[in-house]
Amino acid sequence: MNERKETAGKDRAAFHGGGFRLASYYWQRMARNRLAIFGLAFIIFLALVAIAGPFFTPDPTEVDFEAKNMPPVGFTITQSVYDIKTDQFITTRVSGTWKHPLGTDRKGRDMLAMIVSGARVSLQVGLLATGIAIIIGTIIGVMSAYLGGWIDNALMRFTDVMMTFPFFLLLVLIVFIFGPSLAFIVLAIGLTGWTGTARLVRSESLSLRTREFVMAAKALGASDGRVVFRHLIPNVISLIIVIATLSIPGVILAEAALSFIGLGDPTVPSWGIILEEGQHSLTTAWWVAVEPGIMLLLTVLAFNFLGDGLRDAFDPKSNV
Amino acid sequence: MRKGWLRDYILKRLLYSLIIAWGILTVTFILVRVGPSSPADKYLANIAARGQDPSQVIAAIEARYGLDKPVLQQYGEYIFNLLRGNWGWSLSTSMPVIELIKHHWIYSFQLILLSSLFAAIIGILIGIYSAVKQYTKADYAFTFLSFIGISIPNFWLGVMLILVFSVKLGLFKTYYDTTLPLFSLANLKALTLPVITLGTGMLAAYVRYTRSAMLDNLRKPFVTTARAKGLPEHIVIGKHVFRNALLPLVTIIMFDLGSIVFGGAYLTEIVFGIPGLGQVSFNAIFANDYPVVVAITLIGTLVVLLVNLVTDIAYTYLDPRIRYE
Repeated sequence: MNERKETAGKDRAAFHGGGFRLASYYWQRMARNRLAIFGLAFIIFLALVAIAGPFFTPDPTEVDFEAKNMPPVGFTITQSVYDIKTDQFITTRVSGTWKHPLGTDRKGRDMLAMIVSGARVSLQVGLLATGIAIIIGTIIGVMSAYLGGWIDNALMRFTDVMMTFPFFLLLVLIVFIFGPSLAFIVLAIGLTGWTGTARLVRSESLSLRTREFVMAAKALGASDGRVVFRHLIPNVISLIIVIATLSIPGVILAEAALSFIGLGDPTVPSWGIILEEGQHSLTTAWWVAVEPGIMLLLTVLAFNFLGDGLRDAFDPKSNV
Repeated sequence: MRKGWLRDYILKRLLYSLIIAWGILTVTFILVRVGPSSPADKYLANIAARGQDPSQVIAAIEARYGLDKPVLQQYGEYIFNLLRGNWGWSLSTSMPVIELIKHHWIYSFQLILLSSLFAAIIGILIGIYSAVKQYTKADYAFTFLSFIGISIPNFWLGVMLILVFSVKLGLFKTYYDTTLPLFSLANLKALTLPVITLGTGMLAAYVRYTRSAMLDNLRKPFVTTARAKGLPEHIVIGKHVFRNALLPLVTIIMFDLGSIVFGGAYLTEIVFGIPGLGQVSFNAIFANDYPVVVAITLIGTLVVLLVNLVTDIAYTYLDPRIRYE
């Protein structure tokens, strides 16, 4: 009963034409998923931090040897500091201050500023690389399904080859060969991460290709381009949005992992680079390793929650 | 009749795998050739310091590596050498790459094997429990935890485990002790944190796969039949539902090997200093030791290909319902 009402609502929304109405219908479905809303809220927050944060935080590369290894606000640690006057190590208690709310690292760089810079890197890489991967995957998937024959065969075998490569090992190889700049890391992830999208879009397009409305469009003399852009792509767009959201976390983690093993862009503080540094100062400054990891975890969780929520909202069969 | 069909199918799979293997080698060759760096790069600073003419030295080094030959000939020699087991020479460790791999693969293998066992056993048990107790508090808790387990970056988890259990509590060494004999309790203890690091993500994934595979089968009519026959519940779940859920599960677990496990193992080895292939590749990156980095990516990829092939063939034996054209 409930299901029928929902379907009717969907039809009406679609009938009245506006993409806006349809969007608000999907929004209502998704809003019922609290985790998805949490995910969305966190992503918006992170985006704001990444955009506006650098105006309020100090330069993340600025070193301050007077304030090395300062704990975050609310934490007090005992440090042994070399005292130049008495030529001895003296033990002092150090508390976090609001000047450095998240503390500082072993060079006295502000952790908050570095975390903000890392958010920027992660979101940039996540969105851009996923964008590239989705575009390539969609083009290959639609071409494969629509053109068929030997082109389909060749494209799918190539997809198989790329899929067999363990994603991270291939990335390591490519970034090693071409050098670690941020632009190149984005390109490398985009150029290797399209295979899943290509396969899903292909199978979805294959089933759409034989549906009545596509047949009708063809019978009315629509060109191939029109069929693809007006009929196929709009119908796989919801699938593409879901794949994109769910592949962003993997991309962000891949960038962080590359930075962590030293294949990141050395000129920009990213979460992976901070974490790598933190691993070497676990005994003196544990927060340096803890903070970027929590940010990574929350970001990945947020995109996963949002992606799951979107998938359920777009799926007409699921009863949210 | 059935035998002939099976042989044809296996031959077809073999041929297909060979084509994919050729594709993998070709993609790798193109990547290395297109790349901007040359084996001569690392000598340039020396040459300049001595005031020699770099172009002559570059030409000599490139000739030694066969880079002055036509591309197609290089490509042929590359494939031929790989097939003969000649995987190049590692400059940073002064030994053939294949020897280097022979020395170190066992460390990666033990880590991956133990982590997989740990993840599969616990993950499948929790998954079954979660499915049987669907929509209870325990099920929600496990589902949420598995969400976190999948999202947690494994290299960060490793660092956190070191922080808590090694630095703060002092239960383990912060670094893997390479002097331990492979098959010993001490070695097993040293691998505890690495196995948890690599296994957690897999475990969480297996909980989710098992739960959904079990739920798919729990509602099937044959379950009702089994219960109607008066079979005890543990036999219904263990024998009837789980047996049927197992097959799709195995495929996904095998598929994860390439997409998740190898990358995870690479990072875990670096975090804990385990001298496996990931660590070797990591060291080679900093020594700019080209052949090693290429060889280890290739090895990983070929292992994935082999595992996929074996899984596919095993499938046709395990599931009598499967018929391929």
